[in-house]
Amino acid sequence: MLSKKKENMLNWLFTLIVLIFALLVLLPIWWIFRSSLMSIGALNEYPPSFIPHEWLWSNYSKALETFDYWLYFKNTFTIIIPAVTFGTVTAIFCGYAFARLRFRGKKLFFNICVSTILLPGMVTLIPLYVFWTKGLGLGDTYWPLILPFLTGGGFFNIFLIRQFLMTIPMEMDEAASIDGAGRMRILWTILVPSIKPAVVVVAMMLFIQIWNDLLQQIIYINSMDKFTFAIALTNFTGSFGTNWPVALAATFMTILPGIVIYILGQKSFVEGIVLTGMKN
Amino acid sequence: MRKSKTKTVIKSRAGKKEERTAYLCLIPAFIGVTCISYLPTLAVFVLSLFEWNGLTTPEFTGLSNFIRIFTRDIYLADSVKATIFYAFLAVVGAVLYSLFIALLLNMNIKGRTLFRSIFFIPYLLPAIGVFKGWQWLYESNFGLFNFIMRMLGLPPQRFLDSASQVIPSLVMIAVWTSGNLIVIFLAGLQNVPRVYTEAAKIDGANAWQRFWHVTVPSISPVIFYNVLTALITHLQVINPALALTNGGPSKKSMFMSYVIYLYGFKKNKLGYAAAYSVVFFVLVGIFTFILFKTQKSQIFGEGE
Repeated sequence: MLSKKKENMLNWLFTLIVLIFALLVLLPIWWIFRSSLMSIGALNEYPPSFIPHEWLWSNYSKALETFDYWLYFKNTFTIIIPAVTFGTVTAIFCGYAFARLRFRGKKLFFNICVSTILLPGMVTLIPLYVFWTKGLGLGDTYWPLILPFLTGGGFFNIFLIRQFLMTIPMEMDEAASIDGAGRMRILWTILVPSIKPAVVVVAMMLFIQIWNDLLQQIIYINSMDKFTFAIALTNFTGSFGTNWPVALAATFMTILPGIVIYILGQKSFVEGIVLTGMKN
Repeated sequence: MRKSKTKTVIKSRAGKKEERTAYLCLIPAFIGVTCISYLPTLAVFVLSLFEWNGLTTPEFTGLSNFIRIFTRDIYLADSVKATIFYAFLAVVGAVLYSLFIALLLNMNIKGRTLFRSIFFIPYLLPAIGVFKGWQWLYESNFGLFNFIMRMLGLPPQRFLDSASQVIPSLVMIAVWTSGNLIVIFLAGLQNVPRVYTEAAKIDGANAWQRFWHVTVPSISPVIFYNVLTALITHLQVINPALALTNGGPSKKSMFMSYVIYLYGFKKNKLGYAAAYSVVFFVLVGIFTFILFKTQKSQIFGEGE
């Protein structure tokens, strides 16, 4: 058995190791930020300075001259807000049916849903593109990027909601139904509030999915005034050539909203994922 | 037992109503399964038998797209090689890295919540921002990594511009952004009953034995889930080619997904791109099948 003192020392040692790794993980982000605040000349110095001598915030205003930040911000969130809302709400309905309701074909349909996570999305790229643009004439609109989220945004989210609902005792529903509340009322006023962490996780996952996407946005959106962050940044840094500080200023501005949203939802998020527990 | 009970419930009027509610709730999932997953997958097989530029009427050409892919395609060999090489390294790298970090974070360390968030941050940066940022870190003259190389007294490298280093360099980025795997491992580790590890400790097992004989078997479904999703994700790799390399240098990062994109959207050969998607689908299927053969554990059990 380890003595208390020895155990304490080990904990500090592990904390130190984690700290070193954490700093390594943060280093690229810091390096991008620090480079976005320097002049081209200062970037080329050797040895490099870890902290800029002079904080050139003007790089950001220079980037904003050609990088229409707020337009791209508006466009990106025009996709994200309805998609995340639709995805979360429909995932809750489906997860509820699998967790709480009895119906014929439940097991079969559940397994069919599970199997979809094995179908690589890349395979459906061409047919879905043909369907949205040639079939429905929705090319160069945001609809092909939003409407798929009306289906719960993938099975993982439905599964997550189901897992959480199954941890809530049935007595909660029964008590409410004796009081005369209908199923939908029970779902939205009693069950959803008690699985808030799971709802936050689902919303975050959907957000990250769209936030991370480049391909779908590139193939569906053509007009410049509809560009999202992803498309705009791809084109912007190309046109800016070797002016790294300005290009990195634009890069840093586009990664910022995600970090802010994460910090806001962070507490529920970590709690939610940890409680998921993958196993039944 | 349970089955007969379910049947009697469904026969009753309340049971009928319950069933109706269930089907209504599941409409989104049903549409998703059919219209987003299965029908398009079927459609890709049909489309692969046509030649179509997206404007004129599609022309049925039978298997000629496939014959062309396997005999005269300029990308096939390179793209299969690049995809498998990348996916293999990325899965191994990301799974080992995230398991290692999750094990550390599962220990009794100070500031756990803060560290957990830090390791997750790279995952939620938008792909394009990550790649543009790392392009600068990999820059051959003044990038961070070459500064480090020089400090260590090593010759500077060309990273993304080098045919032999481009895939490992891109894998580094994939490993860095695998915070989602860490979170899932962490969830699995917290479900390992403490009594098991304590009991093993009392029996005199050292840290390595405890890890190998207690922790690993208890989290094996989680390991399998992470390997499976990482494999499917990384076989579909396309963002680095779109954002950074355009498949180069010398086709070393010409991933299969990127080739589908090139044929479909740059060369407007939709039928041919569909045939390429079928080939890709089969490849992913083979790898998934092999993985399932190695482990039969059920992750998404339908328990009540």
